[in-house]
This record gives sequence, structure tokens and C-alpha cells, in this order.
Amino acid sequence: MAQTNKHRKDPEQVEDLEKLLKRLWPEIRRRHLYPEIPLPRFDDSPSPVAMEIRNKQIILNLDYIRTMTRSLPAETVLEALLDHGVSHYTCCPWDLSTHLRLYARAKEILGDRDLARKATDLFMDVVADTHAVKERQSSLPDLYRSGAQTPVEEVILALYERIWGLDLGSKGDQETVNRLVSIPYLDKRRWMMSLARFIRGIRPLLEDDNGSLPDEQTRMGKHGFQQYAPEEIEQALREFAREAGSPEQFVEVFEDLQSELEMPIQNSSEAMGHGAGNPVDANRIYYMKLAENYALPLLKMPMKGSGYLHPHSHRPWEVCQPFKDLDPWSSFGKFLPGITQIWERREGQIYDKKEKTPDCLVIIDSSGSMVDPRSHLSYAVLGGGCAADGYLRHDARVAVYNFSDAPAGGKEYLPFTHSRSLIYQVLCRYFGGGTALDLEEVTSVAQESEVDIFLITDMQITNLDQTVSRFARLKNRVTAVHVGKKSGALRFIKASVKNQNISVFGVNETNDIPRIVLGSVRSYLTCD
Amino acid sequence: MFNPFEDFKEFLSKAKTLPLDRLSADHDQIMAELTSGYGKLVEQELKSLVWFVEHNRVIEAYKTATEVIQDLSYDAHSIEDFCYVLDSGVDIPYLISGPAGIYVAALCNHVAEDKIVLRLGEMKRTLHFLGYRLPYGKSLRIEGDTGNFTGSALQGGDITVTGATGDWTGAGMTEGKISIQKNCGRNTGEWMQGGEIWVGSRIRGLGRITSGQIYQAGEAVVDSLMA
Repeated sequence: MAQTNKHRKDPEQVEDLEKLLKRLWPEIRRRHLYPEIPLPRFDDSPSPVAMEIRNKQIILNLDYIRTMTRSLPAETVLEALLDHGVSHYTCCPWDLSTHLRLYARAKEILGDRDLARKATDLFMDVVADTHAVKERQSSLPDLYRSGAQTPVEEVILALYERIWGLDLGSKGDQETVNRLVSIPYLDKRRWMMSLARFIRGIRPLLEDDNGSLPDEQTRMGKHGFQQYAPEEIEQALREFAREAGSPEQFVEVFEDLQSELEMPIQNSSEAMGHGAGNPVDANRIYYMKLAENYALPLLKMPMKGSGYLHPHSHRPWEVCQPFKDLDPWSSFGKFLPGITQIWERREGQIYDKKEKTPDCLVIIDSSGSMVDPRSHLSYAVLGGGCAADGYLRHDARVAVYNFSDAPAGGKEYLPFTHSRSLIYQVLCRYFGGGTALDLEEVTSVAQESEVDIFLITDMQITNLDQTVSRFARLKNRVTAVHVGKKSGALRFIKASVKNQNISVFGVNETNDIPRIVLGSVRSYLTCD
Repeated sequence: MFNPFEDFKEFLSKAKTLPLDRLSADHDQIMAELTSGYGKLVEQELKSLVWFVEHNRVIEAYKTATEVIQDLSYDAHSIEDFCYVLDSGVDIPYLISGPAGIYVAALCNHVAEDKIVLRLGEMKRTLHFLGYRLPYGKSLRIEGDTGNFTGSALQGGDITVTGATGDWTGAGMTEGKISIQKNCGRNTGEWMQGGEIWVGSRIRGLGRITSGQIYQAGEAVVDSLMA
């Protein structure tokens, strides 16, 4: 249902507009091949822009419509605005993933958040409008013919005049327009290159106009990231993590948009209250999202015995026996030796092989010889993350032991947990410095229960020999992944070759780590 | 039988042809021609496998470039776009900075417009020989950094570089003006026979200057009398 603000000034006019909207909307949807978006609504808040999109719903500004209907029929104004809004949904940016990529490219070129937002919004407007005019016979030219207000709008109007072949009465700088007219706006495959050309063309104008509010850049308004659903945000971040040139690029973009991207998630608990916010570590998000692109199947271990004593049969209670196993239902309500019955417990019998997924202790080296995960893609963190995800997916718990020179205090230990967020937080921690394992601590954790050990390091560990001999004495399954061909790796391989519980995987290039985790490790740990 | 797509039938014929279609197709055609011209130059220059910067070699390469582009129709903006095509490496078999820069210089010298602005700030690499032989009456503004031999053999043109230039800036220039807002490299003004070089910041080294003026941060470091 169309909704309006309660404080509207002209109920009759609003009612008429609502009726008109309801009449036009099916036709607009038909024209745009029935996109799955809800009925737009009106908003009466004072704003210089025509519309905004939130959660896929187009919100039309009544102030703007009132102004425009003085010179144009209401039908034309509404149709044009809806064409514009729907084209953003059906053409450009189409989805958050594309929107993020465009913004990231703009940020890379311009280096400034506000300028990048403005440039991206303008480019998306030109593409969406041109698509609507070319493919959907939109009345947008009539709306634009009413004139421009800012220098940027003047240029965009002049650009439309040239590329649409219509007289819109523009007075924009032709020198700038000449740079923009030959960009293939409707060729989606070339959008990244087209955006770069577009920015080169309008950059001086944008920089001159940087003092103005983002909303005032164009009458159609800015395209916030609130318009996307939480699922779409998850998917887009996953894709963007894969495509980003470095963790730094991801972090930069994510931090720019964090407040908006989280909005849908935060909105789910809108209750009032006090307390500090929960800042998100963009590095952690980067590795979490990147690891989601890979899946590590896991082989469950055969169980040796359940160890669980279940009530099997009754026998008479004796005074020296504990009360906890008394069965009052078969004791006639009496507590008398020889009469009162007590449960006889036996260990459960297991037929065939029953399997379970063990917990996993991920030991990750973050010494100075390893890549800093904040500045470069760390395959150690990614590999550790993939392994952790594999165990979490099977409802097992994961502990993380992140170390550099552990005996000197360069370590962080996360006890066994199901919290993926905490796991990545510790995985992403970078110490630098020397490399030594605190073997007592590691083995005490490993011996607590039947856990798998996943060690990822470049094997430049000062107490490597002790590490190998200690691991060899453990009964746990140990998967060791070494980065590069350093001398320590060879020593580790030689020392552990006789140990059935240790599997060593070497990589010549760090890029191979995810492949090993997903391929070779699978043969050991996996697979259905 | 009911056709569920009946409703959409009309959409097939309704797409309009906009001037944009022609404009972008023309631009693609120009880029293809410029790329093809560069290919011919490289083909000629690669005969000896290694490209050395020698006086005769540069003259020969420029002559070839001029011949290759003489029938091409392009504007100043196309030159900038072509620089990014060169930088991207797509459709460009070999990017050799020397011949590439000479080719771009030839394009600038023969374009119809007198005022050329190249916004090259986002290029990953720099081109040499930009502004080579720029004739009198033409102005070239380069936004970003340039490589070696910027404005070499300048023939009266006016070059402005908003970034830094490499070595041999203004080498062999006879007249005209080169303004560099940041630094320039070694051998600046080597064999310079006239004209002015204005450097906003540091000059790494001067060449053997025959005549002309060089200014650093507004102060004359070489003038024609010294020579």
C-alpha cells in the first residue's frame, strides 16, 4: 500500500498522487518487464532531491513533485521518476556487487570518499537514464527539460542533449561534454573503463563542487547503500573480497560504507539503549568473506566407543551405593537395602562405524617472516580460515593459537568456540618478530580432548626439532602446511615422514595455499 | 496455445537508436585505427629487435609515425583515451615507451586543435617523448607525470606538466616553453638552443646547455648569457 507521512500539507493532492501512482505503477512495471520491487511510496520530508531507494522501495519526494507539477503534468513527473528509479534496479547498478565495484574503482581514481560517491552516483544516473530513454521510451527528457541547477547538472544535461539527440535547453561546458559523449554507457562489460573515462572528464567539476552536500549534486539524489537487502550485502561482500586487489582496498571501501552497509542488520534490533557501538574489524570481514568462497569438506573420525553409561537394568540397592541412581518408581517408595532398586549402568554398544567431527586447534604463525594480513593477502590466514570454516560447518569447535615468539609473550589463544567472528579476529592478529612455539601450552590443549591440529607456518621456527618430536608423540591428527621452500620446511618434512599422524603439505607459492587446503588436505581430512 | 511471452513482443522493436550509439561506435573505430597505426610503427621499429634512443633513430621513428597517422581522423580527447589504451595493454602487442611516446607526440603535433589537455594522472606507467617537436601555436597540458625526453626538440610550443618529468627534459629544444610543476630529472636542457624551462621544485641535474633559460622555483639557474 502506498503510505505517506502523517504531517502532509495538502491531503487532497497527496490522495490524488497516490491514486495516480497506483494507476501508473502496473504500466511502469510492465514497461520494465515486471521487476520484483514493491509499490513506491511518498515522503513529505523537506529534501532537494526527487527520490531515494531503501530496501528496494522507491520513496518519492512530495516537495519535489509539487514543484515539478507546476510546469509538467503529474503523470509525466511520476512516470519519469519511476523510470529512473526502476532503471537503477533493472540496469545500473543492478546489484550491490556492481555498485561496490564501481565505487571501488572511483575511489581508486579519486582517492576521496565524497568525490567517489558523487562520481559513482552520476555515472549510474547517466547509465540508468540512458537505458530508460533508449529501451523504455521514458518521459525523463521532459523532466530534465525543466532546467539544471548546479554546474554539474548543467554538464549532465548537455551530455544528455548530445547522446539522446534532444533539445533540453542546456548551457553546460561543451569542452567537458566532448569528453563524455563517446563513452559506451550501455555496455555493461566496459563499465569500469567507462567510469574511469567519465571521471577523467568531470573530475575538475566535481572538485570545484566538493563543498556542496552529496545530496545536492544531482536532483535525483544520491544512491545510498541502504537500498540493498542483508542477503545481498553478504553476497556482494563475498564477491568483492574475491575481486579486491588487496586487503587494503577491501578495508578502505568497507570502512567508507560500513555505516550504511550494516544498516539493515542493525535495523533488526532498533530498541533504544545505551552502550558503545560494536566497531567491525574490516580485515576480519575481508578474510571471512574471502574464505566463504571456498568450502573444505571434512572426514569425520570413526568413534572408538561412546564412553556413555546408560541405565541398563535394575539391581538391589546397598547402603554403600550412591543415591543418584536410585529408581523410586520400582522401589515401592521405600529406601531399604535389598528392596530399593538401583539402576545398573553399562557402556553403550556401537554397531558399525559411527562418525564424529573432532574439534580443531588451528595454530597460525604470524611472525615477521609471514605476510602481514592487513596490507597483503595472507594465504596463511585464508588457509586457516578455510580450515576453521570446514570444522565449524560440521558443528565442531575451533580453537586458535596465533603465535610469533610465544615464550616471549607473542601469542594469542582463543579457547574452543563456535564463534566464527572470534576465530577470524584471532587469525587476523599479526605479531611480527621471532618465531617459537610454546610446546607445553599447545600440547596441553591438544591432549585435553581428541582434537585435530592444523598448523600453518613458513617453518622458520626456532624450536622446530622439539616441535616435530612433540607432535610425533601426540595421537592427534596433525596437518602442517608450510609456506615457501625454506630450510625449516625440509627439516620438518624429513623429521615427520615416519609419523603417521602428521601430514605435511608444501607450497612453492603462497597462492597455492588455498588450493592445498581444498585439495590435498581434503584427501587426508575428507571426503564423502 | 497461449504464448506467455506475448506481452513482451512489442519490446523487441521499441528500442530507439540514440546518437550515443553512433558516437561510441565512432570512438571505438578511432581507437582501433590509432592502435593499428601504432602497430605499424612498432613493426617498423622492431626490425632491429632493440630500440635505442639515438638521434637518427628518433627522427626516423617520428617520420614513420607521421606517415602512419596522416590519414587518421581523431581529436585531442582521442589522444588521451589512446594513452590509456596503451597503458592497459589490451590490443597492444608491444608497449615500448619510446616509440609509444613518439607516436603520441606525433598525434599531438598533427591534431586539428591547438589546445590539447592530456589527463594522464591515472596511468600506471609514464610515456617518454611527450611534447616532442611540439610546434609553435600549440599548447599541451599534461596532468600527471611524464617520462624522459619530455618536450625534447620543442619547436615553439607551450608544454605544461602538472607532475614531474624524467631525465633529458627539453633536450635539444629550440624555442618554446616547458613548465613543470614538480621535479625534473638529470640532463635537463641538454643541447638546448633556446626557449625556457620552468621547474616548480627540484632539478636533479642540468645538461650541457647551448642557449635558453632554466628557472627553478622562479629563480634563474641558467640563462642564455651563461652559455
